[in-house]
Amino acid sequence: MRQNLIQKIGIPQIVVVLIAIVAPLILTGVNFSYGILILNFMLVYVVAVSGLDIVFGYSGQISLGHAAYYAIGAYGSVMLHEYVGIPVIFSMIISAVAASLIGIVIAYPASRLRNHFLALATIAFGEIVYQLVAQSPGQITGNFLGFFTDPVNLFGFEFDSNMSFYYFGLVVVVIFLLLKTNLVKSRTGRALIAIRENSAAADGMGINVTLYKVIGFAFSALYCGFAGGMYAHMVQFISPETFMYRQSVMFMTMLLFGGMGNLWGPIIGVITVTLLNEGLRALEEYQMFIYGALMLLVIIALPGGIFGKVKQLVDNTKSRRAQKNADVH
Amino acid sequence: MFTQVLLLGLVLGCIYGLIALGYSLIYRASGLMNFSQGDILTIGAFLGYTFYGVMGLPFIVSFVLVIAIEVMLGMLIERGVIRRLLGGNANAIYIVLATIAISYILQNGAMIAWGTKTQYFPSVFGIPRINLFGVNIQPEAAFCIVVSFIIMIALHIFTKYTKYGTAMRAAAMDPLAAKACGVNPSMTTALTWGISAAIAGFGGMLIGPVYGVYTTLGSTTGRKGFAGAVMGGFGNMYGALLGGVLLGLIETFVSSYVSSTYKDLVAYGLLLIFLYVKPTGIFNEKSLTE
Repeated sequence: MRQNLIQKIGIPQIVVVLIAIVAPLILTGVNFSYGILILNFMLVYVVAVSGLDIVFGYSGQISLGHAAYYAIGAYGSVMLHEYVGIPVIFSMIISAVAASLIGIVIAYPASRLRNHFLALATIAFGEIVYQLVAQSPGQITGNFLGFFTDPVNLFGFEFDSNMSFYYFGLVVVVIFLLLKTNLVKSRTGRALIAIRENSAAADGMGINVTLYKVIGFAFSALYCGFAGGMYAHMVQFISPETFMYRQSVMFMTMLLFGGMGNLWGPIIGVITVTLLNEGLRALEEYQMFIYGALMLLVIIALPGGIFGKVKQLVDNTKSRRAQKNADVH
Repeated sequence: MFTQVLLLGLVLGCIYGLIALGYSLIYRASGLMNFSQGDILTIGAFLGYTFYGVMGLPFIVSFVLVIAIEVMLGMLIERGVIRRLLGGNANAIYIVLATIAISYILQNGAMIAWGTKTQYFPSVFGIPRINLFGVNIQPEAAFCIVVSFIIMIALHIFTKYTKYGTAMRAAAMDPLAAKACGVNPSMTTALTWGISAAIAGFGGMLIGPVYGVYTTLGSTTGRKGFAGAVMGGFGNMYGALLGGVLLGLIETFVSSYVSSTYKDLVAYGLLLIFLYVKPTGIFNEKSLTE
């Protein structure tokens, strides 16, 4: 029975979670506590990018406006907490659900738009949300001055240090990734993949294309919305510049780097791009230039991302070995 | 006040229109969207500033140099990136993302080469202001409006009535059949990217003297230019310019009479509404050809 459970979850998954548990302890050991802050950002991005993967990786629908859901989650949670007095964790959940509902409203009419035009619609939505938080009527979002807030609070315990937030974030990531794994294996996941591969054929098989596209967007927005709430209460300060168009492009870049349509791609992409951003920061004005060049390189040379390339290499070796065995016998 | 706002709106609208023309040309010829158009405009403005403002070459010489470099840049993007991706049967989404990567490279490349300060593009005509309909405007602004309309008409004639234009449209409709008729689709696509980059360079040379030259000059204009292109009807030459002008006028009137806070909100709101309600835009391609 226990054997079955381990196999069901997967050995690589368990190993990665164990590494993730000890990682901050090692960083503290070598006296590099800034590293824990970087890890915290990675956790937030893994939730957001895994959400984007549901829409882009699984159902093949582009979005260049996911920063909007991130913003709705962040501002929603902060405003619910500061103005209404709802405890932080509940404000995060409510605003993530709100992001999801807004995702449905945006995705329903967008479901008949093709690639390029869907890209435009999502850019427009992202810009509209950015404009609303940056120049809100009556300055309810704090506009360009930003907004200070409290850390996550669970049953009286405050996750106010980097270390404590890390373990909170890790639990959240595990929950969201388990949910994603189950979602993509379900009827919904198969419908999303069918739409990606050939939406006309999916329609012919009796899949309600519009409905499943909207469901995909709803889940995706839920993930990004919750990630926004995590970000807000981790940094305990939000301002509009975090939620610009370039944030949406960064989520997309992370997904491209790692590889899409699987569990590991977003994780690998988030780690690579976050470390890259940290490393390139020393190069100052060359940072974004190199970032753009690397993005182009990945699109041309590694269309399946890092995970896709590794998987391809492993598969090739396996089939070659199988071929060799077949030749011997 | 009204005439002043109207003229300023027309200038801004013509820039949106020129950007939208570039989008429409590429979309019509290859069914693709180029998200780096705005940054190609920035490069054109900086090159113009360098040749005309810094090196002191005559305006017409700088102008020809800028257009030549921009054509090469456009063809380089097509040959080096777009062709490669299409050859590998890449998903259309990847081409969108590749052009976004190119826009990052161009914008930040411009920042490395020319710095973050706004550069002053010297006057082209040597007279600071002219009086038009009782309003004092820069002669470059009036020039911008006139030239934009000329480019639009020239492009329409080019795509509709010349051998190259017909070949371009044929290659877009069905590359294989076009090939059978002796058209070289790879040449026409490269040409399209070259021409649309040239139009962007043109736009950069035109607004440089009006707005000054800075690294984000084209990127926001480029994104809002999509609203103009969609409103006019994506892929339609007259629609592109008229949609752009309409957007420029709406934006300028909103910021003058309501509040400049809402100008971007209105532009992107219009883009979203048009995509949802009337994605074919005001000038539906079909209704025009019928």
